[in-house]
Amino acid sequence: MPSPTSALLQGTLDLVVLKTLQWGPRHGYAIARWIEQTTDDALRIEEGSLYPALYRMQHRAWITAEWGTSDEGRRIKVYSLTPKGRAQLRAQTAQWATCVSAMTKVLQAAG
Amino acid sequence: MTDRRIWRTTTPSNVDDELSQHFEMLVDRYVKDGLSQADARAKATERFGELKRIREECHILADQMEHTVKRREYFDEIRHDIIYATRLLRRAPAFTLVAILTLAIGIGANTAIFSVIRSVLLRPLPYPNPEQLVQLWTDHRALGRANPEWFTPPELQDWRTQNTTFSGMAAYQGGGATLTDAGDPESIPGFLVSGDFFDVLGVHAAKGRLLTVTDDDAAAEPVVVISNGLWQRRFGSDSSVIGRRLTLNGNPWTVVGILPPAFHAPVPTQADIFRPMRRPANGTCGRSCIVLRVIGRMKPGVTLAQAQADASGIAARLAQQYPETNAKVGAWLIPLHEQISGPSKAPLYAMGGAVALVLLIACVNLANLLLARGAVRGRELAVRAALGAGDTRILRQLVTENALLALAGGSLGLIVGVFGSSVLATLVPDSIRAVQVIRVDTTVLLFSAGITALAAMLFGLLPALRATRANSHESLRSGTRAIDGIRSRLRGSLVVAQISLAVVLLVGAGLLMRSFLMMQRVDLGYRSQGIFMAGIALPAVRYRDPAATIAAINDVLGRLRSNPAIASADVTDLPPLAGGGDQDILAIPIGEAMTGKEPPSIWYRAVTPGYLSTMHMRIVSGRGFTGENRAGSAPVGIVNEEAAEKYWHGTNPVGRVMAAGRDSAAPRVTIIGVVASARHDGPNQPYKPEIYLPYEQFPARAVTFVIEPKSDRQSAITAFREALKATDPLVPSPNINDIESIVGDAVALPRLYATLISIFASAALLLAALGVYGVMAFSVAQRQRELGVRLALGAAPTSIMGMILREGGRFAILGVLIGFAAALALGRTVSSLLFGVTPFDLPTFLIATIVLAIITLMASVVPAIRAMRVDLLSTIRAE
Repeated sequence: MPSPTSALLQGTLDLVVLKTLQWGPRHGYAIARWIEQTTDDALRIEEGSLYPALYRMQHRAWITAEWGTSDEGRRIKVYSLTPKGRAQLRAQTAQWATCVSAMTKVLQAAG
Repeated sequence: MTDRRIWRTTTPSNVDDELSQHFEMLVDRYVKDGLSQADARAKATERFGELKRIREECHILADQMEHTVKRREYFDEIRHDIIYATRLLRRAPAFTLVAILTLAIGIGANTAIFSVIRSVLLRPLPYPNPEQLVQLWTDHRALGRANPEWFTPPELQDWRTQNTTFSGMAAYQGGGATLTDAGDPESIPGFLVSGDFFDVLGVHAAKGRLLTVTDDDAAAEPVVVISNGLWQRRFGSDSSVIGRRLTLNGNPWTVVGILPPAFHAPVPTQADIFRPMRRPANGTCGRSCIVLRVIGRMKPGVTLAQAQADASGIAARLAQQYPETNAKVGAWLIPLHEQISGPSKAPLYAMGGAVALVLLIACVNLANLLLARGAVRGRELAVRAALGAGDTRILRQLVTENALLALAGGSLGLIVGVFGSSVLATLVPDSIRAVQVIRVDTTVLLFSAGITALAAMLFGLLPALRATRANSHESLRSGTRAIDGIRSRLRGSLVVAQISLAVVLLVGAGLLMRSFLMMQRVDLGYRSQGIFMAGIALPAVRYRDPAATIAAINDVLGRLRSNPAIASADVTDLPPLAGGGDQDILAIPIGEAMTGKEPPSIWYRAVTPGYLSTMHMRIVSGRGFTGENRAGSAPVGIVNEEAAEKYWHGTNPVGRVMAAGRDSAAPRVTIIGVVASARHDGPNQPYKPEIYLPYEQFPARAVTFVIEPKSDRQSAITAFREALKATDPLVPSPNINDIESIVGDAVALPRLYATLISIFASAALLLAALGVYGVMAFSVAQRQRELGVRLALGAAPTSIMGMILREGGRFAILGVLIGFAAALALGRTVSSLLFGVTPFDLPTFLIATIVLAIITLMASVVPAIRAMRVDLLSTIRAE
């Protein structure tokens, strides 16, 4: 069964991750978990898409990473937003709103 | 900064850590949800999907990130290096300034000299396919004449029809004329050329058309092609000049075209008009009339050897067909570029070598300076090394500093070079410059960049390598006063190298200077001051009758001699140092046995009776000309000692008779006197057999007035111009040349070379002196403690000074010995430039030694005095 995330374009994945990080630094697993919980499991991020996306965004300096220790004593890599990332988030959120309202108009239009 | 540090967290090796952590956390969750460990792992594995593919993708991305980071770090480091280097250099302004100036002068001088070498020797001639162009000569060496000879018109015709390797052969001969149209009459230099002259060269008209073969026909309309310079100067760049009739030497010639601005005929002199020869078919100039210079263009693909073989074959056939004129005459082909630039090769390359030596000395100086600085900076570099900077990093830092110095010095040097090139362009005489324009082109720019890089490597590499050695540990331990025996020995040998190079240049300068002075001192055999000369040409159209010519010249002379401003006035048809000598008659001393080895030829001059005494030429035997020797009376002549020796074998030829030419109609000349030989071709040219003939018996329309002013030169010149105008106002007023400047021009080249190399030698001496001073000063500074101890223990201060001076003396002795050896080895290569001195000239070597000794002494004195005054207590306190 195709996972709901395969319907997501790569761009929206970026937007979702950026939004997640807006609430504070998180490591990769936590990002995926938070998205699942917030969407009540409607969106399940595949690890195969998540980490490449994280690396790409790090290369573009939208997010930064730091190695640290989790509460359980694990060595984890924590990502956080950069100012540039915040700007991207704002921009992409606005884009998404425009897109959604356009789609809504189309879908609600009478023949 | 923070970004970079954090970016570094994602590396290919970290990828696995991150992914495996995520995996474990998944497993933990499933276990918490109730699955068993094994099930949880299985579920997580399934969830993770194609782990391998994910890992690979992430690895690639992490790799990319790492590359970006590394590249940015690299450029950041370089930027940091540059900023640091700039700061360092600014903190040592004296050193930086000296270094940059030294480099700039060295690179600038080399660039300037190379621009001359490139323009004169290396640039192809400014014609299409210039490698096909060849200067053709006839070879009379089998007949005893060492120099290549010109052509006769029938010879040229034969060569043209019989050759298989040339696409064209063109001839030219001197053909200036007097222009008498609107404006002052003006004497314009130019050539008479064959119709295909411009075709062979491959030149096209800028306006109108150039000459063609049909113009060469004696019956064709007389046409002329003018240069761009003449067009601008005389005709104001007016296009309507095409089609206009100019009056040249009294005859009308129609202008048909204007040459391009960049055009220069393949001869060293300037030419502004080109007219076709228009030689009539039944002309009188036959197989003994050697008047034509010939250039040819080889067919594409033909080699010089093939063309030479072809030409030699033609010459051999002609020798058989016309033995009286062409026996033993061969062919001599010289590539046109070689023809024009050949004589300049040796001296120009010598100059190039000398100036390269100067740059070498400059680089050695800089290397020494940098080594000294390296010793002082030992501690700084050691700290950096201890803090983790690798050898490469430190090396790169030093290379950056050197590169900055080289860049600054090289850019300044380029400016100096461009300026120097324009100065040289004015100093280099036309005989050297010939066809080319001396300028800085792309090749010169590349050369300048190249030697800058080379210099940077030369002066930078050694000190940089030395600085990164393990010696850095010692510097930390023993403080800034690193006792670096090896390093100071290296600097000492560099100073010795500098001194030897300076010696070589000094010896070279001395030799060239002496050559020049020797040449100046040569007794030319004629007067070299106190007179001036002016050449005029009476146009044939108004002076067809020789009597008219004689009358006109005598008229002018009469006016001049009666003028109070003029002490004496005479005329000759060939002044000294004119470079000419077309005059050559095959003279046969009547009644003498022909030696058979070479045709007796003699160079003749027509002179007025007072000429010989005005020119201070000594009559050795017999008498001079008088007013009796005029047209109509028996032809007489005065030979020079060289001719007397050669043709009358030392017996007195007075009273003997000579025939002026081979055929029976040639006049017979009675010798009435012998005059001392004179060097009419230049101070370094041999004597030629010459005969002087009375002007009235052998008149010429082109003559040179020789005038001695009584007291005021300017009033004499004015008197001359007025006399000329009074006799014939249509004759253009000529240029006045003082004999002093004519004689000076003859040695202009040796003077230029001697001056240039003296400048280089002075620069080399200055650099060597700086080098000696630098090393001595540093050595004294380093040995302060030792010297202080010695002084405290009772050593006499003068003995300390003596010790330091002796050290300097050791450098000098070694440097001089090595320099002498090098100078002796190189001596042979410059022998072609010398005159009157051998390359192993003892006085020059002696003077070079003395100069070097003095310079070294002067350079060592200050450090020596400082060594005397070392105060032990303050030295110890300073440590």
